[in-house]
Amino acid sequence: MSRTRRDPRTERALHLVAGTARPRLDRAAAPAAASPTGRPRRDPRAEVDSALVPGPARRRLDRTLRQTGLTGQTGHIVHLIEPEIALTAPPRIVVVEEPAFLVAAVPDAPGGRLTAHDRQVLGAARLLAEGGGAVVALPGGPVEELGGAGADRSQVLAGESEFDPEGRAAALAAALRRLKVRHAVFPETAEGGDLARRVAAALGEPLFAAAESLTARAVTRAARGRRVEQRATPPRLVSLTADAVAAYAGAPREAREINALGEVAAVPRAIVSARVVPADPATVPLSEAEFVVSAGNGITDFERFRALVAALRATPGASRVVCDAGLMPRAAQVGASGTVLDATCYFALGIAGAPQHLQGVARCEHVVAVNTDLHAAMIERAGLAIVADAQEVMPALLAALQAEETRE
Amino acid sequence: MKITVLLSAGRHPVSARPCPPAVELQALRLASGLAADITGLHAGPSADGVADALGHGLSTLNLLTIKGDSDPLVSLAATLKATTPDLILAGRQAQGGEDSGLLPYALARELGLPILADVVRIDAGGEGLLAVEQVLPRGARRRVVLRLPALLTVHPAAPAPLPFTFAAARRGKITQLQGVDSQPPSAAPEERPYRKRPKLIAKSAAGASAADRLKAATEAAAGGGRLLVNPAPAEAAREIITHLREIGVLRR
Ligand SMILES: Cc1cc2nc3c(=O)[nH]c(=O)nc-3n(C[C@H](O)[C@H](O)[C@H](O)COP(=O)(O)OP(=O)(O)OC[C@H]3O[C@@H](n4cnc5c(N)ncnc54)[C@H](O)[C@@H]3O)c2cc1C
Ligand SMILES: Nc1ncnc2c1ncn2[C@@H]1O[C@H](COP(=O)(O)O)[C@@H](O)[C@H]1O
Repeated sequence: MSRTRRDPRTERALHLVAGTARPRLDRAAAPAAASPTGRPRRDPRAEVDSALVPGPARRRLDRTLRQTGLTGQTGHIVHLIEPEIALTAPPRIVVVEEPAFLVAAVPDAPGGRLTAHDRQVLGAARLLAEGGGAVVALPGGPVEELGGAGADRSQVLAGESEFDPEGRAAALAAALRRLKVRHAVFPETAEGGDLARRVAAALGEPLFAAAESLTARAVTRAARGRRVEQRATPPRLVSLTADAVAAYAGAPREAREINALGEVAAVPRAIVSARVVPADPATVPLSEAEFVVSAGNGITDFERFRALVAALRATPGASRVVCDAGLMPRAAQVGASGTVLDATCYFALGIAGAPQHLQGVARCEHVVAVNTDLHAAMIERAGLAIVADAQEVMPALLAALQAEETRE
Repeated sequence: MKITVLLSAGRHPVSARPCPPAVELQALRLASGLAADITGLHAGPSADGVADALGHGLSTLNLLTIKGDSDPLVSLAATLKATTPDLILAGRQAQGGEDSGLLPYALARELGLPILADVVRIDAGGEGLLAVEQVLPRGARRRVVLRLPALLTVHPAAPAPLPFTFAAARRGKITQLQGVDSQPPSAAPEERPYRKRPKLIAKSAAGASAADRLKAATEAAAGGGRLLVNPAPAEAAREIITHLREIGVLRR
């Protein structure tokens, strides 16, 4: 059907100012009734005005409407993204009272925190528990946020000492036997993979090692030098590679503590002593580093930058511009044509955040950025973003770290 | 000290021709650094490929002949129970077979030996003891002292294998022994040509556009970003240090 026709006469009548002898029109006033099409009219001028970013001399617009809280004064702390949880009521906790069967997940959880891989393992266990099952998490130490990651039950199964893989594997095998779990999922990491194989040997069962895809009906893995894909219905013991299954994203679950301790057979222990030697951050390869401090084109004082990296006990990195200029070695380049990081924290000094650079830090959990430009992509990516001159922040950081050391 | 190195029939990762997996040759090198009596042990239908290990510093290879599809575990366990070496070295994972890395664990269980994974350095540690270095993620190491006899698996970060020498390969001795044939495992999984599966990309939904994927790669991971505009340098430094401490990357 054609659009309703405009009626200029009635539109004009809506703008008439009442009470004067001569007909007067007030075009600025909003018409009493909406337009005949029912759509509110856009006001491009007002939109542009509200998107104007105050501050810099050059006119700049921010059309994402994220800066509405920004007032432009210096030294203000602005929360860019409001936590969404505050707006909605806390989600209800899902409770499985009488599970038909159990699926175990064994997260590594180094330092009591779930890694992304651990969350994927819990997500995979959740997939296998569809249809009335419950997921029971069996970490090696107390872990928070298990419920949010999809665990219905939990039980800590630790070894006797800090490094006791034999004891932990025996306790785990006993728990799996006692709980009669239908499946047990492990992460295919150094620790999780070792544990999975120990448990498989203790139970005398096959392990579907390094699964690369997993659904309730089929798991696959590579074999024969990655020339063949093996496919089977999920067996009892599965270890899962990273980034194969999505983490659980539903409503939180209760992660109720249960008693899963089974009868542990006596284990002969051969380890006399064990001591962890931490990696030397100055020599560890960039792809394995935990904390990377990186310099971009905004940095000119590289002596100070190196001193700062050493004081923070971090691994040095750089953007491509800096490496091209020969100011840092090529091995330090972060990004698509350099090294893709797997770090926990990335600290970027004077880096704009080109897409090629950001690809290199996509997997970093935390990003801290110092840049003079409020609109740099790195500032947007950062969890803590500081709009300041990095040349001045570096000596301040060094002084603060030194002051702390002398105080101790 | 008597050391047995377990050698599997590997395939070259690129050409797929028979050759010993690199990590098992690295195990050989670790063993030869201990000045000990070293034997290689393989259970399989022939010594194809495995024999190349003789050129990398091995003088004797014991070949347990079994049928192609029988489980090597039974033969290996029987032989090792008879020879009782002080130390057994294996690769972390074979290359060209099942590639599950499960055999050393099953063998250790069968022999009642302790097992330690991912070793990159072995030193003699006194009477009946061994000092080894184990690889941990992120470049860290763990120094472990353990009692012998034991079974260790070697990590690819160990020193490179000794170079191949043709004369040594000619000189090396292969002893053929009869292995124990056993039933192949009943429920063999279905096999098909390998297909690479896409990795999950953080946060972006399936079928998302390139723009969405770029956004997922570049957006703040944890949300709740905090922005400080033109703070004094000292204040900025304080904020950064507290933040790094909270995350746990900056330790005293
Ligand atoms: C095919 C291809 C591959 C690439 N691969 C990579 C790669 O792997 N890695 C990589 O890094 N790049 C890569 N690049 C280059 C990339 O596109 C950018 O050019 C580069 O990342 C920019 O580096 P930068 O941020 O250090 O420099 P710039 O873009 O010059 O940015 C400097 C930043 O520092 C800020 N600044 C200036 N002075 C100060 C100060 N005193 N204090 C604080 N901040 C200050 C500025 O505001 C600016 O944001 C690639 C490009 C191509 C075409
Ligand atoms: N048939 C075999 N004979 C001797 N050693 C083997 C054999 N198969 C596997 N191994 C050893 O066990 C390790 C792990 O093998 P796998 O469990 O097949 O990945 C290998 O690196 C070898 O050291």
